[in-house]
Amino acid sequence: MSIPPTTPAATGSGDLSAPLYMAWQVTNECNLACLHCIEESGPGKAFRDELDDGQVFAVLEQAMDLEVPYLSFSGGEPMVHRRFFDMVAYVCGRNGQLKIETNGHYLDPENCARLKDLGVKAVQVSLDGATRETFNRMRVRGDFDKAVQGVRNLRAAGVPIEINYSPTSFNAHEIGTAVDLAADLGADSFYTGRTMYTGNAVKTWHRMAPTEAQYETYFQILHRKTEEYRGRMRVHFHEMGLLEELRYRLHHPAALLIVLPNGLVKLINALPFVCGDLRRQTLAEIWGRFQRAWQDPRVGKFVDDLATDPRKTATLHQWVYL
Amino acid sequence: MKLAKYVKFREEKFGGVLFETRSEKVFTLNPTATAVVREIQAGSDERDIPGRLKERFRDESGAIEREAQAFIAELRQKGLVED
Repeated sequence: MSIPPTTPAATGSGDLSAPLYMAWQVTNECNLACLHCIEESGPGKAFRDELDDGQVFAVLEQAMDLEVPYLSFSGGEPMVHRRFFDMVAYVCGRNGQLKIETNGHYLDPENCARLKDLGVKAVQVSLDGATRETFNRMRVRGDFDKAVQGVRNLRAAGVPIEINYSPTSFNAHEIGTAVDLAADLGADSFYTGRTMYTGNAVKTWHRMAPTEAQYETYFQILHRKTEEYRGRMRVHFHEMGLLEELRYRLHHPAALLIVLPNGLVKLINALPFVCGDLRRQTLAEIWGRFQRAWQDPRVGKFVDDLATDPRKTATLHQWVYL
Repeated sequence: MKLAKYVKFREEKFGGVLFETRSEKVFTLNPTATAVVREIQAGSDERDIPGRLKERFRDESGAIEREAQAFIAELRQKGLVED
């Protein structure tokens, strides 16, 4: 018997009773205001209609009852959510595997110890630069030293570490050093791909977007680093362009749901389409609609239109309800 | 033998899925493989599992027994189970 592996993103959703992965943006509030932020998060940017505590825990309860095996909390900055640690405790307490995606600025020794005790699967920290200069330019209000110290604190506490890197015209050349830094810091995985033209990036694209030549070198270095660190740290990267990815998704919807801070559920982050509202529908009901929603002709048309107008991704926050 | 720390299992109509959340790999299981994982979760002795499945599925040919043995070996080789 052979069981070839796939990934949640590559696993078809059609036959599954529930998602395999729920990526939850728990708040749009953030202590930073990054140039490329696809969610346009920042100080004072929490949605006015974010889920209240009762709704948050009702959703978590449903996810655990449906045996969704893997969740991630992101934002915004998830660690600024008033019930962050209670939410982590609930998921881990019900044996769910949980990843936290953070900018690393709240990873003091005490918080890292709590995350370890609660049993999170991993903490992913965004380190978009191998130097203070590039990181701080990208992560407005951010502090490279603080983020790096946060990663060191995770390491000291024994929490598995993942590093995320978003390329720009001014940090792409540092990718090799950044992968080395991640390994030195004790990361288990390193993730990167192409930076998307949406959110804050729409306003900053002219001074931030990498050229195709930069991307070519970027991915060449990543191929080398993948081999260099094989067996020690996993280097994951997506060379595929957005259009190619979305065309694939039209026929192979991933087994994951994207949950916004107000409970709306999107088909995928890179599309504006909403297939449910957790304030009004159950998670099971929304999962039931998910597959059909991908077949809506508006979804295919949006993807087709991207071929001639790649800048349509600027409208991803103008939600379209299916 | 038990499922490894980062491995989650869920039963499905077609059988089941194993999800190794550290590497984020998903393994889709047929009914026989699902029955093996169920036995592992129930704490059955590894050596008894193939025979139990042979009995349960009333398999005269021994094919299921062999399939189960091979699957257990594969689970070990992929690090999806631990002692």
